[in-house]
Amino acid sequence: MSMLEIRNIHKAFDQNEILKGVSITVEKGDVVAILGPSGSGKTTLLRCINYLEKADQGELIFDGRSYDLANTPKKDIAAIRMKTGFVFQNYNLFKNKTALENVTIGLTSVRKIPASEAKKIGLKMLERVGMLARADHFPAQLSGGQQQRVAIARALAYDPEIIYFDEPTSALDPELIGEVLGVMRALAEEGMTMIVVTHEMDFARNVSSHVIFMEDGVIVEEGTSKEIFENPKKERTREFLRLEENRRNVQ
Amino acid sequence: MNQEMWDLFIESFWKLIIPGLKMTIPLTVTAFFFAMIIAVLVAMVQYANVPVLKQISRFYIWIIRGTPLLVQLLIGFYGLNNIGIHINAFPAAVLIFSLNEGAYCAETMRAALEAVPSGQMEAGYCVGMNYAQIMWHIVLPQAFRTAFPPLSNSLIGMVKDTSLAANITYAEMLYAAQRIVGRTYKFMLIYCEVALIYLMFSTVLTWVQRYGEKRLNAYGGNKG
Ligand SMILES: Nc1ncnc2c1ncn2[C@@H]1O[C@H](COP(=O)(O)OP(=O)(O)O)[C@@H](O)[C@H]1O
Ligand SMILES: [Mg+2]
Repeated sequence: MSMLEIRNIHKAFDQNEILKGVSITVEKGDVVAILGPSGSGKTTLLRCINYLEKADQGELIFDGRSYDLANTPKKDIAAIRMKTGFVFQNYNLFKNKTALENVTIGLTSVRKIPASEAKKIGLKMLERVGMLARADHFPAQLSGGQQQRVAIARALAYDPEIIYFDEPTSALDPELIGEVLGVMRALAEEGMTMIVVTHEMDFARNVSSHVIFMEDGVIVEEGTSKEIFENPKKERTREFLRLEENRRNVQ
Repeated sequence: MNQEMWDLFIESFWKLIIPGLKMTIPLTVTAFFFAMIIAVLVAMVQYANVPVLKQISRFYIWIIRGTPLLVQLLIGFYGLNNIGIHINAFPAAVLIFSLNEGAYCAETMRAALEAVPSGQMEAGYCVGMNYAQIMWHIVLPQAFRTAFPPLSNSLIGMVKDTSLAANITYAEMLYAAQRIVGRTYKFMLIYCEVALIYLMFSTVLTWVQRYGEKRLNAYGGNKG
């Protein structure tokens, strides 16, 4: 059985339909890259499956259970969130907490893990993302790349089954992108299941196992990264990849 | 200043500073404490959009901000007395100053809460926290940090405003000054002297405020 399935998700803001029936299947250990032009609904999709936004319709099958995305009880939402990590485009670290506290707060306040044990886990996670030396720094004292790595450590802290990344490097200065992608690549190699919305074509091509190309709230094309990058079937996919290639060459 | 004036100045200094320490400060501290509780509750009710309570909060703020503090004090003491509610000057003053300051500080707190980016709340949900936990650990501390300078200003303003309590027989500093003036008719000397003592109090509080702000900024502020 798949680790996570999204079936026929619909979402409109006002009268404007943003997601028009998207379905995705994720196997354990998959790294799914979601590509697509700005405004195609990628962020909305991730937000809906973590209930930051309420879908109008759709089904989430996760951990062997089925949930109605438009109508999931609060306690189920909390349980789902405890098994999923979310990494935001603009990090969203807790500004009043140190790097270490950012990682441990979910452990101490939600899971009621004793502070000393939480600290041990927190330090270990910071080490994994290469941020151990900055454990006592506040977000304002860290660079964007460092903040994002702490945010990844925070998502890792409670051992999630899957992590969602929403353009984790888009807000970063170009020279800081590599350090974050490096951490994500390491996670992928350790077998972490991830859905990654990204404009980093090299990452999608080389790290992801599965690529989804989305536009205007629908999936245009999907396949293994080899299929999508080497032999895209849809003209629209080819055009998008060409544009992204040009964009990168300009940079 | 001749010897006689100087002696009066020294003698009055103690007669003023003692009510300052025993009456002005306790009134300020007590009323500000309750004002903070009111402010946080009233601000949170609006922030969280709690029906009915939100409307009550807006009504309360409307009344308090639209009427003079002195009139509120007179109602809270003489007015209540008139309708059979006999409370002493101190509790009456605490009641009115808390309600008054609470309304203004609630607006400060509300603005500070709304200034916390929504991503902070969302990140909290994503690590599994519930609304109350996020408010307590994340949003309120950040809002408080934003609100610290304006709240400190409110506190300093309140020390001075407590002089209005003289009008409801609360024997604070200005009340003491008026008694000395009534006896000596040295208006200039005594009122300047009491002004000087208020100035001392506010100056000390300004130092505390600056120290507090420095401490808060040392922890990275709300930037980033
Ligand atoms: N909260 C919202 N209210 C109204 N419109 C929204 C909201 N969030 C997103 N949208 C709209 O939905 C569309 C898709 O947005 P988004 O999911 O962020 O796309 P992407 O992440 O692919 O760039 C955009 O046109 C955006 O303006
Ligand atoms: Mg987006």
